Amino acid sequence: MTIFALDCAGATASAALLCDGVLLGESFTHVPLTHSQTLLPMAQELFSNCRVQPSEVDAFAVTNGPGSFTGVRIGVAAIKGMADAAEKPCFAVSALEAAAYANRHFDGVVCAVMDARRDQVYTACFQNGERLTEDKAMSLADLSEELRAFSSAVLLAGDGTKKAFEFLSGALKTPCYEADEPLRFVRASSVAFLAAQKLEAGESSVPAGKLLPLYLRLPQAERELNNKQKDLQKKEHTK
Amino acid sequence: MTSGDEMQTFVTKDYAQTVALGEKIGRTLKGGEVLAFFGGMGMGKTAFVTGVAKGMGLACEVSSPTFAIVNVYGKNAELCHFDMYRVETWADLDSTGFFEYMDAGSVLCVEWSENIENALPQDAIRITIKLGNTENERIITVDGWEEKA
Repeated sequence: MTIFALDCAGATASAALLCDGVLLGESFTHVPLTHSQTLLPMAQELFSNCRVQPSEVDAFAVTNGPGSFTGVRIGVAAIKGMADAAEKPCFAVSALEAAAYANRHFDGVVCAVMDARRDQVYTACFQNGERLTEDKAMSLADLSEELRAFSSAVLLAGDGTKKAFEFLSGALKTPCYEADEPLRFVRASSVAFLAAQKLEAGESSVPAGKLLPLYLRLPQAERELNNKQKDLQKKEHTK
Repeated sequence: MTSGDEMQTFVTKDYAQTVALGEKIGRTLKGGEVLAFFGGMGMGKTAFVTGVAKGMGLACEVSSPTFAIVNVYGKNAELCHFDMYRVETWADLDSTGFFEYMDAGSVLCVEWSENIENALPQDAIRITIKLGNTENERIITVDGWEEKA
């Protein structure tokens, strides 16, 4: 079973090839605003270096969010195109689950955080590889409240780690740590292993045409984008 | 911002002076600033941004972003020029790459900022351009910028 995985839902981009449980190769960059230019060359080089043809891939996997709006669409569009051409199934993996995956042996709660700007994050908590909370968008203040309910140490992972740590350290009742740099970001290898797990668990894949990005509404977006809309709505309301 | 919170008013007599004012502000930018423009069509916003690009040392010809929604200038997207006229929702705004460019430290010049008022950062430099006493004269108010920045 060969799985090809991509991730560019956040600050980093990566591609990985997994063959019968062996990670054949992985490529990773952490350079802003380059995902749309680097992702496919990265994939092409990976196939070439691993001596694998795209036609040999049995399933494709991608992080379909939550994360950067543009990044998620780049990754999902790329995998849709590849899977459609190869006529192979796709697996969508949560970017938060993938960020937590490499840290699953941490003795405590792994809190995955993807930066959503303005003191907001996309977040979910995991322990021993099991999900504790659903993927949500929330303010760091609300996350702090949520994490205070846990009695064990908290490890932060994901591209929002630094920002969340600055906010949360000292605010929790239990120790709070940042994942080390090599384990901090989403890795396409984690996405591939999670897809393999889904496959093994009998979770159904989706055809390329049905693969969709996952967007979570940010607290910020509860407000009107402009004040004019608010005024217009008020007028409509009072009519 | 400290003294940058003060509002300054400039009067430009023609296109060249509007470009020169943009250039003056452009020279002080370090990256990551948002220049939010308010004011209708034909006010000289593109002229102003032409000056900003010049002041930032970018050798490029600035054109109106009306149809493209965003024009990106510089090797590393140092300057992004948006037109938010057709942006109505947060999803619209997300799809322009506004936040990604902001996070990457680009200077953002945003025309029709009225449409995204609640997405502007608090320290945005607010620039309002109004028609002066003659056809080419403009009254330009700049809020949140300090010259020696």
